[in-house]
Amino acid sequence: MSWINVCSEASMPKGTGVAAWVAGRAVAIFNLGNDGLFALDNIDPASGVSLLARGLICEIDGELCVASPLYKQHYRLDTGRCIENNDLVAKPFDIKTEQGNVFVLAQS
Amino acid sequence: MAVSKPKLVVVGNGMVGHHFIEQLCSLGLNKTFDVHVFGEEPRPAYDRVQLSKYFETGSADPLMLTSAQDYQDWGISLHLNTPITAIDIAAKTVSSAQGDNYHYDRLVLSTGSFPFVPPIQGNDRAQCLVYRTIEDLEAIQAAAQNSKVGVVVGGGLLGLEAANAMKQLGVKTHVVEFAPQLMPVQLNDKAGDLLCSKIEQLGVSVHTSKATTAIIDGETALHRMTFNDESYLETDMIVFSAGIRPQDSLARVSNINIGERGGIEIDDYCLTSAPDVYAIGECALWQQKIFGLVAPGYQMARVVASHIASLGSNTVSQSFTGADMSTKLKLLGVDVAAIGASRGFDNAQFVELSDNQGGIYKKLWLDETGKFLKGAVLIGDNSDYSRLLDSYLSQDEIEGSAVELLLAGAENEADLKDTSIVCSCHQVTKGDIVESVNAGNHKIAEIKSCTRAASGCGGCAPLVQKIIDQTLQAAGLDFNAGICAHFDHDRQALYHLCQVESINDFNTLITQHGKPSASGHKYGCEICKPAAASIFASLQNHYVLDQNLGHVQLQDTNDAYLGNIQKDGTYSIVPRVAGGEITPTKLIAMGQIAQEYDLYTKITGGQRIDMFGAPLSQLPEIWKKLIDAGFETGHAYGKSLRTVKSCVGSTWCRYGVQDAVGFAIDLENRYKGLRSPHKLKFAVSGCTRECAEAQSKDIGIIATDKGWNLYVAGNGGMRPRHGDLFATDLSTEDLYKYIDRILMFYVKTADKLQRTSTWMDSLDGGLAYLKSVVIDDVLGINDTLEQQMDHIAATYQCEWKTSLDQPEFLARFNEFVNPNDAPTADTNTYQRIRDQRFPNIKDAGAGTIAVKDITDDIEQPAVEELV
Repeated sequence: MSWINVCSEASMPKGTGVAAWVAGRAVAIFNLGNDGLFALDNIDPASGVSLLARGLICEIDGELCVASPLYKQHYRLDTGRCIENNDLVAKPFDIKTEQGNVFVLAQS
Repeated sequence: MAVSKPKLVVVGNGMVGHHFIEQLCSLGLNKTFDVHVFGEEPRPAYDRVQLSKYFETGSADPLMLTSAQDYQDWGISLHLNTPITAIDIAAKTVSSAQGDNYHYDRLVLSTGSFPFVPPIQGNDRAQCLVYRTIEDLEAIQAAAQNSKVGVVVGGGLLGLEAANAMKQLGVKTHVVEFAPQLMPVQLNDKAGDLLCSKIEQLGVSVHTSKATTAIIDGETALHRMTFNDESYLETDMIVFSAGIRPQDSLARVSNINIGERGGIEIDDYCLTSAPDVYAIGECALWQQKIFGLVAPGYQMARVVASHIASLGSNTVSQSFTGADMSTKLKLLGVDVAAIGASRGFDNAQFVELSDNQGGIYKKLWLDETGKFLKGAVLIGDNSDYSRLLDSYLSQDEIEGSAVELLLAGAENEADLKDTSIVCSCHQVTKGDIVESVNAGNHKIAEIKSCTRAASGCGGCAPLVQKIIDQTLQAAGLDFNAGICAHFDHDRQALYHLCQVESINDFNTLITQHGKPSASGHKYGCEICKPAAASIFASLQNHYVLDQNLGHVQLQDTNDAYLGNIQKDGTYSIVPRVAGGEITPTKLIAMGQIAQEYDLYTKITGGQRIDMFGAPLSQLPEIWKKLIDAGFETGHAYGKSLRTVKSCVGSTWCRYGVQDAVGFAIDLENRYKGLRSPHKLKFAVSGCTRECAEAQSKDIGIIATDKGWNLYVAGNGGMRPRHGDLFATDLSTEDLYKYIDRILMFYVKTADKLQRTSTWMDSLDGGLAYLKSVVIDDVLGINDTLEQQMDHIAATYQCEWKTSLDQPEFLARFNEFVNPNDAPTADTNTYQRIRDQRFPNIKDAGAGTIAVKDITDDIEQPAVEELV
């Protein structure tokens, strides 16, 4: 496992997501400013399509989520758990910034 | 051996007779009596007040108040098709037409009334009908099928109801009234005249001061009706609705006392002259008065049930003390209300409001001192009714000047006293409703079933809803007005806030007006954010992906990338093809671009071309090529104007009477880019053959030889609806004005994702109200609406062109933030079918939609709808 530098902090748009290529897989990374950075597998477990980074950020009962652009399932940004269907999880990734760069922890 | 129960016989199973049974059961008397109910009609009780609903659905089912099963469950014997022909008051028996005799210990006559047919020569000719029972309606429907013209004799309340039914059946309708005005019993002359002009505007011809002298063979139609002034009218069918007469023949032949002008005489307990025989409803005469409304009948039913319950017990019976005959209703879509002495009286003081522009007339009658409300009449606007009725019934001294009663408006309609009667059919007070809401019944359906409010004539339903909302609000409970969990406001309220406070970004909106959030987050959700973005766009028309204002983060999937996402995560591209007209050069250019990027192409239902399968990162270059070829965005991704479909019109078609294509292009160019609560579709047909299917569109236009007919609020999709005819033979200039106003009024007042059809139906007064706003300017907002639309049209931009001019914006379309690390090959796989590319996704069906709320947005009759 290693930390992969995906981009500079400045190139991450605020309040929304962007996909990054991390060691052979697409990861959706979200920059919520003071609320932190989040990273989930970009594949929407409900549809199998790689697009979670393009979802809308939502707050559902106090939890920060991303809504899938296709069928609107909500995934918690911290755990990746689907609010509507407990069986669906978008795998969460560790993410950090160091000296203005964004790193995602690659998983095997 | 069980002692046999006393026998209770009820003759008549109309609304009042049935209400009596319900009261009986609620007191448990169905257990102590052996109850037999006789009805002469083939059905158990149904709602006679809303008879014309039969024609809306073509079925009696929605009118039914009960069923044979209910009676069985209550242990009551219901004998339908069984007229009672005689009562032996000495032997205490009734005899049926079938020849059976039944003993009674108590007898309730609830025989109702029958329609009065004036003694005119020829009144028994074919297709001369009455309007009271479902069988009458069936006969009217059958007659209408071979009638072009119909006449209703009688311009009272029931006559106008019958006229409404006839009009709905597509028959050219006339109303003939003997008095010099409509509704002479309830309305004064001015109110009658205004009602008359409003009804004539709806296409019903009204003839007052006419007495029919005979009905004879017609020349152009089946009948000719001749009148006392030597004039005549030719008609194919006639419905007599000239009042009702109490159905007292059974009592009459049984030697029960009858009033001089009919009606079974009753005392304050509704007892007739015969021992143990009661009469209730329209057949009963109390203090020389017949009560021809359902609410007093229900009161009598309650009195009799209470009287029977009091026998042999120490409870005190209720008594009948007269009934208020105030009434509020919609006749042919026109609001009409009459309270108390609505025609005035000698020495009365009065306050009168006559708004010729708004089509509103109101008059209040006060006592000699001017301090107490004694009567009122309202035409065109009923919103003051509850408040005025409350003032009349309570006879509280009027605070301040009486004119303020008229000008107070409807905002505080629900601010009634707890003792105020809200539902006069079932005598439900505001307090009853509040109590029921506080007990956990938060939906109007629940309130209906536990308090019975709004389950009679239904006229009080809007007020009941307001009281529910008010009570929930007072209790700090959530009620449905809020758009989502983050706002208590509906879309209309948010629109007003943004407009009045010039709010142009989501952070300000949620900070100042959102609900406090425990977590302190201000992210909103996928419901409020796109709604806010749409409102900002409708008001300011800025670039929808503006990053400085943070609008880009608000846009839902399709708007966010200016394309329509497909099941494999790629996008479809739909350039505008205004009016469906496209040059061969542009067609070739589009074909070449589609070929270059291997896009699947399909013609849409809206007469344009949809190109599928573009990955996110290719969207900018594809659009660059399209724009260079002269195309612009088609807004297929937005809740905005999609297409103006057209037929070929008079330029080529040998039947066309106007240039449908040219006009469709002009319309599309005026309204393109308008962000609205839901998508908008138009169509223009060049003649009455309607090849553009304009009547299935939000705005449908059909050419006539004199101009254009405008239809509004049609739609296809899951629940198709034909548009309603809004105005006829309009000039092009007026048509634009009307469409400007209708669309801006829709943008301003509709709820989120509410199509024009449901929006119009949700307006109090529906089509007629929309006409009054748009044509008569009753709200005085038309200039503003037109200015707003001019602003939208003047600030139109092709969002793709704007985007391509801003290189920093284009970074958003990189599939990955680190594209150099990403594989170059497309990770999606495809298959080829019929020489085109399709996504290779295992699941060929529709995905599961997580949020039910959005299903209405996903209609799939054509490709255009899918996008």
